[in-house]
Parts: sequence; C-alpha cells; structure tokens
Amino acid sequence: MQSVTKINPSTLSVKDLLWQVLWDSNKCTLCGKCVAVCPVNAIEPGVFRKRSIKVLPGLEEQAVSDYGIYYGIRQKTDSTCACVGCAMCNLVCPNNAITVCRSDEADKLKFHINKGGMPRNRGGRRNDSGSILDRIKFTRISMLTDPALDAGRHEFEMRTLLGRVLPPEENLKALTGKKNSWIPPVREIYPLIIGGMSFGALSPNMWEGLQMGVAYLNEELKMPVRISTGEGGCPPRLLKSRFLRYVILQIASGYFGWDEIIHALPHMKEDPCAIEIKYGQGAKPGDGGLLMWYKVNQLIAAIRGVPAGVSLPSPPTHQTQYSIEESVAKMIQSMCMAWGFRVPVYPKISASSTSLAVLNNLTRNPYAGGLAIDGEDGGTGAAYNVSMNHMGHPVASNVRDCYLNLVAIGMQNEIPIFAGGGIGKNGNLAANAAALIMLGASGVQTGKYIMQAAAGCLGSEADRCNICNIGRCPKGITSQDPRLYRRLDVEDVAQRIVDVFLSFDMELKKIMAPLGRSTALPVGMSDALGIDDRNAADRLKIGYVV
Amino acid sequence: MNRERYFLISGKTKDGIRIESRVLEDYIQKAVLNGHRHIRVKAFGQHGIGGRLWREDIDETVHIIIEGQSGQRAGSLGFPGTYLEIDGPASDDVGWLNAGAQIVVRGNASNGVANAMAQGKIYIAGNIGARGMTMTKRNPRFDPPEVWVLGSAGDYFGEFMAGGIAVICGHKPQSPENILGYRPLVGMVGGKVFFRGPHSGYSNADAKILDINDEQWSWLTDNLKIFLDKIEKPYLWDRFCDRRKWKLLSARSTTDRYIVKDKPMSAFRREVWNAELGKGGLIGDLTNIDRSIIPVIATGKMRRFIPKWENGFYLPPCQASCPTGIPVQQRWRLIREGLLDEAVNFALSYTPFPATVCGYLCPNLCMDSCTRIMAGMPSVDTRKLGQASLNAEIEMPPMKTGRKIAVLGGGPAGISVAWQLRMKGHEPVIYDTCEELGGKLTSLIPESRIPEPVLALELERIKKHISHVCIKQPLKKEDMLQLHENNDFIVIATGANKPKILPVPGKERMISSVDFLSMSKTGMINPGKQVVIIGAGNVGCDVATEAHRLGADQITLIDVQEPASFGREREEAEAIGAVFRWPVYTRAIIAGGVELNTGEVIPADTAVISIGDMPDLDFLPDNISIENGYIKVDRHYRTSDPKIFAIGDVTGPGLLTDSIGAGRKAANAMNDILDGRRPSTDSRQMIDKGRVSLEYFDPGIKIFENIKDCGTQCSSCGSCRDCSLCITICPQNAISRQDNKHSENGYEYSEDPDSCIGCGFCVQACPCGVWNLIENDQQV
Repeated sequence: MQSVTKINPSTLSVKDLLWQVLWDSNKCTLCGKCVAVCPVNAIEPGVFRKRSIKVLPGLEEQAVSDYGIYYGIRQKTDSTCACVGCAMCNLVCPNNAITVCRSDEADKLKFHINKGGMPRNRGGRRNDSGSILDRIKFTRISMLTDPALDAGRHEFEMRTLLGRVLPPEENLKALTGKKNSWIPPVREIYPLIIGGMSFGALSPNMWEGLQMGVAYLNEELKMPVRISTGEGGCPPRLLKSRFLRYVILQIASGYFGWDEIIHALPHMKEDPCAIEIKYGQGAKPGDGGLLMWYKVNQLIAAIRGVPAGVSLPSPPTHQTQYSIEESVAKMIQSMCMAWGFRVPVYPKISASSTSLAVLNNLTRNPYAGGLAIDGEDGGTGAAYNVSMNHMGHPVASNVRDCYLNLVAIGMQNEIPIFAGGGIGKNGNLAANAAALIMLGASGVQTGKYIMQAAAGCLGSEADRCNICNIGRCPKGITSQDPRLYRRLDVEDVAQRIVDVFLSFDMELKKIMAPLGRSTALPVGMSDALGIDDRNAADRLKIGYVV
Repeated sequence: MNRERYFLISGKTKDGIRIESRVLEDYIQKAVLNGHRHIRVKAFGQHGIGGRLWREDIDETVHIIIEGQSGQRAGSLGFPGTYLEIDGPASDDVGWLNAGAQIVVRGNASNGVANAMAQGKIYIAGNIGARGMTMTKRNPRFDPPEVWVLGSAGDYFGEFMAGGIAVICGHKPQSPENILGYRPLVGMVGGKVFFRGPHSGYSNADAKILDINDEQWSWLTDNLKIFLDKIEKPYLWDRFCDRRKWKLLSARSTTDRYIVKDKPMSAFRREVWNAELGKGGLIGDLTNIDRSIIPVIATGKMRRFIPKWENGFYLPPCQASCPTGIPVQQRWRLIREGLLDEAVNFALSYTPFPATVCGYLCPNLCMDSCTRIMAGMPSVDTRKLGQASLNAEIEMPPMKTGRKIAVLGGGPAGISVAWQLRMKGHEPVIYDTCEELGGKLTSLIPESRIPEPVLALELERIKKHISHVCIKQPLKKEDMLQLHENNDFIVIATGANKPKILPVPGKERMISSVDFLSMSKTGMINPGKQVVIIGAGNVGCDVATEAHRLGADQITLIDVQEPASFGREREEAEAIGAVFRWPVYTRAIIAGGVELNTGEVIPADTAVISIGDMPDLDFLPDNISIENGYIKVDRHYRTSDPKIFAIGDVTGPGLLTDSIGAGRKAANAMNDILDGRRPSTDSRQMIDKGRVSLEYFDPGIKIFENIKDCGTQCSSCGSCRDCSLCITICPQNAISRQDNKHSENGYEYSEDPDSCIGCGFCVQACPCGVWNLIENDQQV
C-alpha cells in the first residue's frame, strides 16, 4: 500500500483480511504458478524496492543509502479480490514458499464486503464447526450382553427403506386384492444418499463422476446407493439409461429441466429411484435455489431450458400452491401420477419449527413416501451469507421430534425420515449418520462431505474458499469453465465415491456391530446414544453421560 | 497299555453326585503329581479336562482318556507331553489355546475346535462345528499346530487363522456339497488348509488356492497315515490317496492380499458407463466439448489469463491532462535516447509556445498529474524542458492545399490554430487590431512572469510562418460576411477583453485589471502606495505583483469567497506581502479607498477590479449561438455555423494551455473536414496509474538537476521503454522482442502462447504498465 495515497473507510490492510498470504522470498523461485492459479486474483507479482544503509565502522566515511529492487508476491487488499484461503498457491508452489494463514481475530473484511449495498453472497457452508452430532457418543457397546458382532467378520445388511410402508393389516388387505387396491412403492436402498447438487451447480465432470461412482457401487459392488439430481434437470442420456434407477429426480420451485424429463418418460428403461420435491434447503431456508449467471453457459442453459448467461433464481416457494395441504398433496399426487404410482415421492424441507406440521400432513397423505429434512448445516452453491449463517434449525432435534411424533401415533415404521445438513461436516460421516439414524432417521443425505472427499473441495468451517457461487472453484467442482473443471477427472471422482462408500460402510458396521445389529439399521435405537450435556440429552431424549 | 490298568478318576462321587470341575481338575493334577502317567477320567461334562498338565519335572507323556461326556474345552491350554483321547464326540472348544497337547476325538467335535491353538495336534474322527481352526497361531520356536478332520468343517472355519495346518478329509461330511462351511478363512493371515471335496467359496481377499507340490504331498500322505492310525481307520487310506482330489488353501501374503481388484474405473467407464450412455458419456449427445484432464497450471488456450503488450493503448497522465495535448512523455523518451534537439523541436508540433507557456506561464497540469506523485516522488520537470525549447525549430511544409482560413484574433488561441493549420499546408491569416501578435501574452502578462526575450523569440518564430493582417477597426458584422465568403473557415479567437464591473457607487473610480496590466507593461500608470484589488484570482495576483513593482507597498486583495488563485501567481503575490481578505463585500468605491459593507474603509490610492472579463461579441453574425455571454461550441470547437469555429476565451474562461489546445483541436477538425473525414479526436483514455511500477525510480531525488535526469526518472506510463525486463522476468521464457515496422517504435514484444501460463509477472514487472493481463475468454 502506497502510504501517500488517500484511504477510504473500506481501505483495508492485509492484517484486516480474514486470510493472510505468507510469502517467503528466500524460498520463492518466481515461477509464477501461485499467481497463475489464484482463483480470485488475491495475489499478484510485485516489484519491491529495498533500501539498505551502508555504514563503515569508524564512521570515517559518509554512510550510503542504497536502493535495490527485488520481485515477489504481493497480496491485494481490495475486498473484491481478498484471499479466500483456498491455498491453491501453496498447492502449486514447487518450493513451499507461499501459504495462507487465517487471521487470529475477527476480520475487518466482513464489514466491507457489501460494496454497492449488496450484502455478501457466497457458496459453501455455515462456517460453524460446532456439531451436536459429533458430540453424541454410542454408549451401548455390547461385549457380553448381546451377541456382539464383528464388523470385519460378520455380514451386514445395510439397507433402508424409502417409500411408504403400509401397516401389515392394510398391506394384507391390499395384497388379497380388493379391486383397485394399491401398495405404495418402496425402495430398499443404501442409507447414505448423495444429496441434491444440481447439474449446473456442479461442473459436468463432477456431476458425471458422482453418477459414475454411484453406478459402479450398484453394478460392481452391489451397494444400492442412490443420488439426488438436485434442481437442474437431468441429462437426457441418463434419463434413458438403466442407471436412472440409481437416481432420485428432484423437482423444485424453479422447475428447471422438467420438460426434458417429461420428454424422456416414454423412453425410460427404468423408473427412477424416487422423486424428491424440494420445498426448502437447509443452507438457506426460506430462500430459493440460485445459480449465478457466471455458471449458466450454453450447456447448462440447454439442459435447464433457459437463456445462457443469466442468473437463475428459484422462487422461495412453489408458485401455484397456497396452503400446506395443497402444496404437499398437489405436488405429491402429480409426481406419483407421472410414473403411474410406481415411484416413491417425498418432500424435502429445511429443518424448521414447522417441520412437525409438514410431517403430520404427510401422515394423512397415503402417497407420501417419506420426508427429507435438511438442517441448518447444509451446504449450497450460492446464498446470502445471512441466510447461510443465521437461518435454519439444527437437524438433530428436528429429526428427533419428527420421529418421536411418528412413534406417538404409531407410524414410525411407515414414513421414513431422511436427515441431511452437516452430516460429516467435520469428517465424521459415519458417526454422524449413525447418530441420526439412532435418533430416528431412516437414512441420511450428504453433499459437502462428498465434495470434499470425492473431489477435494477446499471448503471448511473456517470460511475457507466458499466461492462456489462465482464459478471459479479451483478444483473444478462447481465451475462451468473448462479451464477449471478440466482439472477434475471424472474417473477419479467416481473412484473416490467408491472409496468413500466402502469406508463409510466399514465405519457404520464398526458402530452397528457392538449393538448386535446386522440385519436391520438401528433406526430410532436411541438407548444406544449418550451425550455429555444434560440439556441436549433431555432435549433429544438420549442418555446423559459424563 | 491295557485301559483297565489306567488310573481311574471318576467325575462322580460314590453317591453318584457330579464332582465340580474345580475338584476334578484337582484330582487329575494330584494324580499326575503322584506319578500316574495313564489316567482314565469318567467325565460328566466337566470343563477343561486334560489340559494344563504342565510340570517341569515330567518328561514322560501323560496319557489321558476321557470317557463319557467330555465337557467344554477338553485339552484346553494343553501342554506338550499330554496325549488326550476323547472316547466319543467332543463338546465346544476342544483344544482351545492348545500349546502342545495331542488330542484325539473319536467322534464329531462341536464349535470352536482348536480356537487360538498354537502348538500340538488335534485328530477328529468326524465333523467339526462352526469356527473351527479360528485364530490359530504359529510360533517359530515350535512346530505349527495341526488339526485333522475326517469329515467336514462347519461355518466360519479358519477365521483370523494366523498359522498352523488344517486337513479336512471330507469323509462323510455333514454337507456333502460343501465341506468347508459358509464363509471360511475370513481374515486368514497365515497357515494352510488341505482339503478334499467340494466347497462353496472362501475369503478370496485373504486366501488363495495353490497346487500341492511334491514335498507337501509327501508330508500329507505321511501324516494322513498317522491320522488314520490315531483314529483307528487305516482302511480309509485307499480313499484318500488320490492326489488329484486334494486342494490346498494358503493365506495370502500382505503384498498378495489385495491382488483381487475390482474392475478399474476406466474399464467400468468404457465397458459399462459409456456402453450404456453412448460415446462421450453423460452429455456426449449435448456437446462435443473436450472434457479431458488438464494440468492446474496450463498454457495456450487453457491459460486463465493472457498478457497483452498494450504499448500506447492509453494516454500517459501527463499527456492526458495537458489541455494542449502535448505527448510530454515522448519528449522524455527522446531525451533518454540522447536526442535533445528532437525532443525540443517535437513540441512545436503541438504548440507554438513551448518555451513561453510550458516553460513559464503554464501551471503545468502535466506535472500535477505525474504518476510519480503517487509514490511521493517529485514529478518530472516539464518546465525545464519547456525552457529548453526556446531554440526549437520546425520545418513548415509548403502551403499546398490552397485552403484559406481567417483567424480572428492574434492571441494564444488564434496563433495556435493558425500554427496548426499552417503545419498542415493550409493558408491561415490572422486578423487582429493589434500590430503585435500575442494578445494577452504581449499586452497583459507581466514581465516578471515571462522574460521579454523569450516571448519575443517565440513570436519571431511564429511570424516567420504565419501571416498577420492588422486591421484598423474592430470587426463588424459586415466584415464577417465578407470573410465568410472568402474563406473555407473562420476561427473566432478574439478573447475576452470586456472587464466585468461591480455595480456599486463610485464604480467609475475603479480601473480594470486589463487596463491596469496593459498600462503597467508600458509604464503608463503609477498606482500609488496603497492598492486594493477586488477579485483575488490569478489575474488579481498579477495586478498585485505589478503594483508592487511600480512602488505600491500596501496591497490588499479582497474577495467574496476563498480566492481561486493558485500556483505561481498566488505565490508571487504572497511573496510581495499582498494581503488576501475574504469574505469581504464591497459597498462603494470612495475617494481614498474601498468601503466595505461593514463600514470599514480599506485605504486605496488605486482600486482595481479583477473579477473577470467577458468577450465582446457584437460583431458576430446572428446565426452564432451564444450561451451565458460566450460562444457556444461543440467538442470540435465548431459554432452553430459549421463554417465558423471559436476557440479561447470567447468560449469561456480558461488557461493559456486550454486556448492553445483548443486551437490545435479545432485545426485538426477543420483539416479532417477539408479532407472529407468526420472530425476525430484522440479517444484514448488515460492509463490507470496503478499499472505503473514506481519502485524502479530513486525516491531520494527531490529536485532534478537537469532534463537528462528527468528523462531517466520518467516512468514512461503506457509506453514501452524497451528495457526488456519482461523478457528476463518471465518464468516461462515466453516473451520475445521482434522487429515490426508497423509498430510505432519499430519493434514489439509478444508472448508465446505455448509457454505462457498467464502468471502476470511481465505485467507487474513492467515499469511502464504496458503489459496487461486479460482474462482468457476464448471458447475451448
């Protein structure tokens, strides 16, 4: 910063920024890679002048002031190109001469990242590393009391049900053939679902990698893993392939790409796994989806049926529905009808104090195939910072309330609840999933963990990177720019998906085995859970352990 | 030895009550201690019979026969030297943790046979239950443990087996279709299993089938005979001796362990994924865009940024802020190149007054905008260069076009436009009522600010090239008609000579600044000691300085607002002790002073009014639009009559350099029109000063000694200095310099796309800000 230039209220120093680039002139070889890779141009090559004073001992000669020039890396301080901490510079540096460091205090950038009156908009996550799920322990370890199982040796049936399960007497009635009787479709699937991330939010390489990995898990390893499309349509080839049965098609308030799905209907070899009707998203409850214009290229535009280069907001609500009865009943009915009542249909809502109302409504709707609840820790490609950080409800108590409500009315085995939002946010995917399952979820959905594990997403709960919204993802996960997404290899992503699910499977077994469970998921088995917080224990109705 | 001679220990009391396992164990241990080496136990399901017979003083074999129900864990923790025979079927865990005992079971054995056994041998004359041979070990100090099973193994056989040899003979198995049970050998890390008969799979990740080599076969046959003898079925040998029916399962080594790979993803993609979806996979039908992998640091069309050599794309700040538009920076370049004369002469293409104006009278806006100021360094001194331009010469082309332009007014504006037109070969004629060219320069501006010889010399140079007609009478409308008729264009450059007057009582006592300055120049005025100047602008300051020169010692400049004067005029006025007062309102001019509306009287021998001058436009034809007392012109200085241009103070107040610049631009516009082109202007924008790197320049320099130093320290904003630093700094060696005769300087720099990674080092290192980094938006 030139000291003689004027400052304004938003003039920041490097110290004011959240992320500080540390550059070591001794190690730097001036190769230019860090500046070439920086996704937000937070650093630039710099010309530096260095003054040294040459003084001879004895002071008999006049001291000399000597100026020299050297080159290096300079961090910019303008809020529009503030370092996002992705550390790609460090990744590409041959000499480990550059890295980033997070500020040791609340950054000043947050007070100035609203230029032009536009509040901060970003992608990523809530940036809060706290997790009640991480704190839940599995306290029921059967060594002698139950037939304790060995995760490595025993066989486990890791399956859950997605779809409406009729009570036995009604099922019998339907089976014994009253005219026009109907048994709702139910899928037996793997309890970890890859949550909705749209074609558009993700790059084509990422999306194809995820789908390919899922297909591999199903076809090579016989793991019935399912993946939601998110709201962005689905490439026609996938719709017409046998892989469609591994796919949960999402419909949301923007209705992007649904004409292609309708056109593909007569050509479908397989029914999709299910239809997910998105009403809400945990990351930004009360706000609709958003695909910023940077990412809407010709391809995305074609699949979504929109012009290229425009921002695509989805309305916060479905536009033609004006009451909960109507919203739920009308949408579910329409979607069931599209596939001749052969495909489970369920709504996805953001966790909210109104979740119970939705659930109660579903219990009265024979077509409702489940309820997905997305908690406040859900991720997103683009949202207002305030929505992400401050809106929403933790998933644990919400799922618990819903499950216990089903128990109270005797329907806990009939409407599966799927929990999402922050599962594995700190890397503990299986433990978080198991905790939610034992709190009452029939399965879980995860997105961010998949991005991190399968594609090397750099996001963390420390406000790192978070630039999914502007399409400059340095790993090519959420970019539509071939210069970025061609960094990501489709097969590598698919392979990592396989690795993730296999290791998740082993970890889940390691949790389930001591419970003596091997043939059914311990859904609602809350006597196995404990937490060292009396209030949380009371709230979740699980053990209080210290 | 005859069984009857064995020492008998009963598992029941004489009363028929079952003895506890603990007590029976005590009897057996004591019997051994008492020297019994052949013991017969009538068992009633007691636990662990026959194990743990360890005594350091015994080197003989202890023979134990169990009759009746042997109980769980018979022979467990077994010791070398124990020979245990179970006279019928065995319960669970026979030989558990066996460390050396030989155990013969003359019937089936249930679950857990040999679990965790490390040494010894177990011979089973029947089938075994689940989890046989699990967790078995091999200690290199001893022979491996052996388990011989005549029939079949139960489920989960050999789990976590770490050593030892199991032989499953498959004779009268429990399940003839599978003699190894369900999921055998999971977690097996060591040992061998010989078996004979069908199986339905084993843990492929842990074990593999090997051929039985001769040595192994020899061992097997030798020991099979022993086994059959032990279980007293030697007659079965004939059934077992067919080598082809035997197989060997062996633990995989660690390196061998994961050799069983699932289908590689690339194969899956090819054979499954693309086979189902079609060529190009998921979106192969929608796009043929190449989605193959690229490196993080890419070159060519995959670079994110491309450097561009933007030499001369932008105006340097000095030129952009010079109303005359002189490319000051080009002059410094010539000086750096040692071409002082060229640098000096070059200015004459832009101004006829390089010395008078640039060197003395101009506030030098070029210097105010100099990029160097950003870093707190002094701007390069154009004034010095201006003063050096006194001897500049120019070669004028012949008047070849025959185009005539009448320039009304011989001041700086008129001279400038005539000068420019003349340079383009036209025939401008200046009409002025003064005999002397120069307008205000000659008549009003005090000599203190411009040495007379300088101005005279420059006027001489002008006169050599420009025709001047001195008219006797001020122009009238009829004259204009005439000129209109006889010329291609008329340029009005008559200036502003009508002083604005303050409508206060006694206003006739004031003298206008125009009159004061022109009279002072010719020595025709004596202002007295006390002078009040109403209006403290730069002209007022000139008045003050002149008044002081003429003997005034109490000079006051008053203004209704903070004075607008600046620069050298202001400095000089302050230097002679002039007092500036504001806000001050004049109520009247009275004899002896200026009366303010506060009642105060500032004594004055002379009161000068200096609040500006207005042009005299009486002679203008009616079709010329006027706005606020000035002629209205467009950006080419054209009036509402397309044949008439107006420049200088007749279009509004301005600096000398504004007038000179207006003359140049108007001349260019007329020239364009005469050539049949639309008049054009330089549309280049000023360069973003942030692009320039000032670190290369010496911040220690506060004053420039000479113009050569100025040239060296000029950052040449936006214009290549040809220093080739970019070539040196480029980490990819991607930049080169080529001759290019179409380029302004005969060369150009460019980058090689195949090497360049778009790092921007060239951009930032460039002292001049010539290189720019542009986002690569080529379609790929």
